[in-house]
Amino acid sequence: MSASEQDLPLVVEFRNVVLRFGNFVALNDVSFKIADVPDKGEFISIIGPSGCGKSTLLNLIAGFLQPTSGDVLVRGRRVEGPGRERGMIFQQYSSFPHLTILKNVLFGLNINAAEMGLSHEQRREKAMELIKHVGLLGHEDKYPHQLSGGQQQRVAIARSLAIEPRILLMDEPFSALDEPTRLEMQELLVELWYRIHPTIFCITHSIAEAVYLGERVWIFTSAPGQIGYDIREGIPPSRGIKPLEAQERTEFKDAVRAVTEAFRRVTQRADGKKVELG
Amino acid sequence: MFPAWFLEIRGKAPKKAAVLFGLVPVLLLLLIWWFITAGDAEERVISPLILPSPHEVVASVPELLHENDQQGRSLVQHVELSLFRVLVGFLLALAVTLPFGIAMGAFGSVRATFLPLATASGYIPIAALVPLTISLFGSGEKQRIIFLALAFAIYLLPLIVRAIDGVPDVYLRTAYTLGATRFQTVFGVLVPVALPDIWHSMRLAFGVGWTYLVLAEVVVKEGGLGDLIDTARRRALPGRVWLAILIITLIAWIADLAWNQAGKLLFPYRSTQR
Repeated sequence: MSASEQDLPLVVEFRNVVLRFGNFVALNDVSFKIADVPDKGEFISIIGPSGCGKSTLLNLIAGFLQPTSGDVLVRGRRVEGPGRERGMIFQQYSSFPHLTILKNVLFGLNINAAEMGLSHEQRREKAMELIKHVGLLGHEDKYPHQLSGGQQQRVAIARSLAIEPRILLMDEPFSALDEPTRLEMQELLVELWYRIHPTIFCITHSIAEAVYLGERVWIFTSAPGQIGYDIREGIPPSRGIKPLEAQERTEFKDAVRAVTEAFRRVTQRADGKKVELG
Repeated sequence: MFPAWFLEIRGKAPKKAAVLFGLVPVLLLLLIWWFITAGDAEERVISPLILPSPHEVVASVPELLHENDQQGRSLVQHVELSLFRVLVGFLLALAVTLPFGIAMGAFGSVRATFLPLATASGYIPIAALVPLTISLFGSGEKQRIIFLALAFAIYLLPLIVRAIDGVPDVYLRTAYTLGATRFQTVFGVLVPVALPDIWHSMRLAFGVGWTYLVLAEVVVKEGGLGDLIDTARRRALPGRVWLAILIITLIAWIADLAWNQAGKLLFPYRSTQR
């Protein structure tokens, strides 16, 4: 981390966060700092064995869980509950079934109309713009059940981004999708991230996806959950490169190989030493 | 020889075949009814005092339509009275159980407070509420409607709570991360998402209500189809008894179809859910 980055305010900070469920330690002494660079959020991919506390980390940032000890800070403030500056996208389809696509995207905009200072027309315009960005133009009057799984996740992304969250939390957002749709969604997400630049934490179980999406990959260790590796070097930028193309490139292959190797070491606990971060 | 769906596990009958198959037992029943009640009264397998022939049942329609009972009520008036009681009782029950059920489904505190009472009241023998409501409210129209409302409410409340419970967490969590307040989450997400299921519960309850109706009308006889049944039985007019039973079944069945159709119109997005 450079000196200039160190002086910047932090968008997310964990200070010695511990989370226990009864006797089970989900997260053990996790600390990290993510700098709040204006108009340039980071994209952090998170991988790790199942049950290692990845989702717990996201739920803590979202405010759905409170740490047993330690501090979870978002932009310098302790997280006390969910809020609109931290959007979340889940693996399960979450489009409200009783609302059309347009009304789904408008949901957050209408709720926060006063705070965002948007008139009725401006909200509609913004919603339509996002619907266009995620490639659902022409579907805005349909109900979620008329859409495919990939389209439903597009709705979820548009709806989250509409209210301009600084942080976007994604918990295996593309895991339920078929492979071609997944690749499409990966490309869309990278494109949207470059355009809007929120800080994204995205859990995935695919190493190739983690490397393609993120500019930084975290590998979690399990029981107790900790960030085992924070890999920033050698993760190539992927804007404008299709996922399938990317997979053919040497720098991607090398990155995937390095991350896979680290992942294997984590699961086999060959080194067992904690990698210091931040 | 059989179509593929016929003995397939969870096989689905095509629509036309389903209608056709559904008619078979009905026609068979009518045929058996006709057969065992055919011929002269003395030669029948079953005495016409127990089971009149289909013809005799239908013949009691003009009788009932034109001829009034001792209180001067015609068949149409009996049906109207029964419909009125069921509707008012149902609406009363709904007015109480809907807000209560939503509050119980939404908030753990309300649920913890009222769930034991609601669960226990599910075991109250509904028939026992008739004498109880009579001693409390007298034997007028008020008692019958309150009895029906109670019966409906005991049936409806747990179903409404369950409908709210059935809303997946992911919708609530999404609403929170979009900045929704608790009020907005309950009335913008929780209730509307549960509404098709609540509607279904209402449909079930409304159907069950017709069985309670007869109970309400048999004990104190002041008109209605239940009154008609019991009075006809005492006067040894089994044709009327059977007719009243058929009318109740028919009304309840038509009402059920109406609930279903209205549900489809109100909740078009439900079609592929669950």
